[in-house]
Amino acid sequence: MTDNNSHDSTDNRTATDGGVAGQPGQSHRDTDYLSAEVNLLNPSTPFMRDHLRIVWTGFVIWFVIVFGPVTLTRLAPGVMTTQLPVIGFPLHYFLVATVAPTGALILSFWYSRKRDALDAKYGIDHQTTEETGRSGGDAAATDGGERTDGGVDE
Amino acid sequence: MTGAANVVLQSGLLPEGLNVSFKLVPAILVLSMLLLFLAIGFVFRVADTENMWVAGRSIGNVENGMAIGANWMSAASYLGMAALIALSGFYGLAFVVGWTTGYFILLIFMAAQLRRFGKYTAPDFVGDRFNSDAARAIAAITTFLIGFVYAIGQARGMGLVGLYIFGDIGLPGLSGYQSMVVFMMAITVGYLTLSGMLGATKNMAVQYTILIIAFIAGLYVVGFTGGYSTVLPQIEYGMLISELGSEFSEPFVSGSYYLWIATCFSLIVGTCGLPHVLVRFYTVESERTARWSTVWGLFFICLLYWSAPAFAAFGTDLYGANVGEVYGDPGMSSAAGDVIVVLAAQLAELPQWFVGLIAAGGIAAAIATVAGLFIAGSSAISHDIYTNIINPDATQRQQILVGRLSIIALGVLTTLAALDPAAPIAALVSYAFSLAGSVLFPMFFLGMWWENTNRQGALAGMTTGLVIWFIPMINEVVPNYLGGVEGPFSAALSQWVPAIGSALIAVPIVFAITIAVSAATDEPPMETKRVVRQCHSPEPMTQQQTAEDVVTDGGETPADD
Repeated sequence: MTDNNSHDSTDNRTATDGGVAGQPGQSHRDTDYLSAEVNLLNPSTPFMRDHLRIVWTGFVIWFVIVFGPVTLTRLAPGVMTTQLPVIGFPLHYFLVATVAPTGALILSFWYSRKRDALDAKYGIDHQTTEETGRSGGDAAATDGGERTDGGVDE
Repeated sequence: MTGAANVVLQSGLLPEGLNVSFKLVPAILVLSMLLLFLAIGFVFRVADTENMWVAGRSIGNVENGMAIGANWMSAASYLGMAALIALSGFYGLAFVVGWTTGYFILLIFMAAQLRRFGKYTAPDFVGDRFNSDAARAIAAITTFLIGFVYAIGQARGMGLVGLYIFGDIGLPGLSGYQSMVVFMMAITVGYLTLSGMLGATKNMAVQYTILIIAFIAGLYVVGFTGGYSTVLPQIEYGMLISELGSEFSEPFVSGSYYLWIATCFSLIVGTCGLPHVLVRFYTVESERTARWSTVWGLFFICLLYWSAPAFAAFGTDLYGANVGEVYGDPGMSSAAGDVIVVLAAQLAELPQWFVGLIAAGGIAAAIATVAGLFIAGSSAISHDIYTNIINPDATQRQQILVGRLSIIALGVLTTLAALDPAAPIAALVSYAFSLAGSVLFPMFFLGMWWENTNRQGALAGMTTGLVIWFIPMINEVVPNYLGGVEGPFSAALSQWVPAIGSALIAVPIVFAITIAVSAATDEPPMETKRVVRQCHSPEPMTQQQTAEDVVTDGGETPADD
């Protein structure tokens, strides 16, 4: 539903990645995440850059949904309290009581879909880990094997 | 009308209009529900800490979503929110918005990262992230305090609703309301000390089912018999709004714009800082589950939050028609408001067993949340203070004993404070949100998203947060417990730093102090930074791994151990 609204590369490239071969998958393999600084305002890996683009887009929309209606009601009480046709709500009441919670729910769904798509784009597969993880503790080794060069140096 | 007259006299905390008497079928309903919780708790009883605190990290998407929902939807959602909407109109909607939309922030900034960090409790995060037992202790005390403040509201809810079902059981020396608080809290604590988090998580899914069915069925039936609605009461109550008096919908009559924003903001950051919410992400099987269970959780929460304003509207109209004026003087009391959901069903003349079902849902909501809070509070004491600081050699037996003792201590404290509560349910609960938002949220947020946040910064920030939270609490809430003192000590202070929304002021200040102090002192050790980086790495981790495991040994032994 909400997931193909202009959001750049993620959708187009999911098809081509196939796990390893694609460009993002390659950059994921080449990235040593344990040596890349974590800073909300200054993402240091391609993955985090892509991820934060989604996060901030969602955050801005969220902010408008949450604080927009009540602020408009403060600024223009006359317009905002007009009664809606058919359902009978005053506009401000409907926007706050129904649209805001629903908006947050839709946004959450959108974000989780986007994040899954991002994982696919970078060739990250949670499924195998979940399954091996459930079968027992030995799985740590298989997973650790994938990391190889990541974070050996200390 | 006749029912109203005799109960008002009994005590200030008896809701007028509520039929207080022992009712057999509702009583059987509630008692069998409690027995069911105990049975589930017994079947899934635990004897080791891994299961007690994080349910073996085995919980899946929908189940965790329901647990998030049940854990979350306390008496404050089930009873208190409809009360605030009925009594304070548009201002009450700040609670609807704050308590739902906060989950999005939790989802995008924290859920998966927390799962990757993968410790046991919220104070664990603070202690390990900032390498400081002092920080751990402050976080643990805060967690305990949150459990205590939050649970007062729940105890009040259980006491008020219990009155409808059991009547005045009349413990010697206590009023009907007080006896019921003691009775209900004794049951809650008994069940909690038997089962730990695993039992609690299994229970929460059951509790969610009970409470959502009771609430929504109640709404549909009240709407239908009252002639208010047919298929979608969540939208149809809109037609009723214009008839309810301007107090119900007119903006900013019972709370200024500033107060609205402050409350909403506090509830949002509080959501992201509440230990019993955060710990839900430690119990799931993977970080992807952490994300999707948040979406599920929010959906389950929205089911109730779409419905609560409708319930408030129906209840307000029924109250106006059957009991007396809702607004003005004397108007509806806060105690009656707090049971408006039950009251609406009773005034719609629904059968007693059905009203009992709605009341039972309220009790399930309160118990589920108290369970989550007390588990979080007791693990803070037993795991974070006792095991990590006082007695590092503690056996599992000792840890569990301390955990159980602290649950009992929390129960006793809460019961005492709830005997004469200072405010309506939702207001009591929101004090806990201000606290979580002011002290824990900035630590989690900065700790996760800025690797240079260090020990000194965290200590300075948390102390500041605690101080800013205490000031309005002393200013506004303490006078209620003192004889002869009226209202807030300082009106100006309570206007700009309201106890109900103090996080709006506290959060920016705590952020600034934490960042400034961190920047002025040494950077945290590389080891810590690498743990933070691991929390953000997209590389999947296994079920039982924590970020620290990966950083210390996961990288260097590929495939051959």
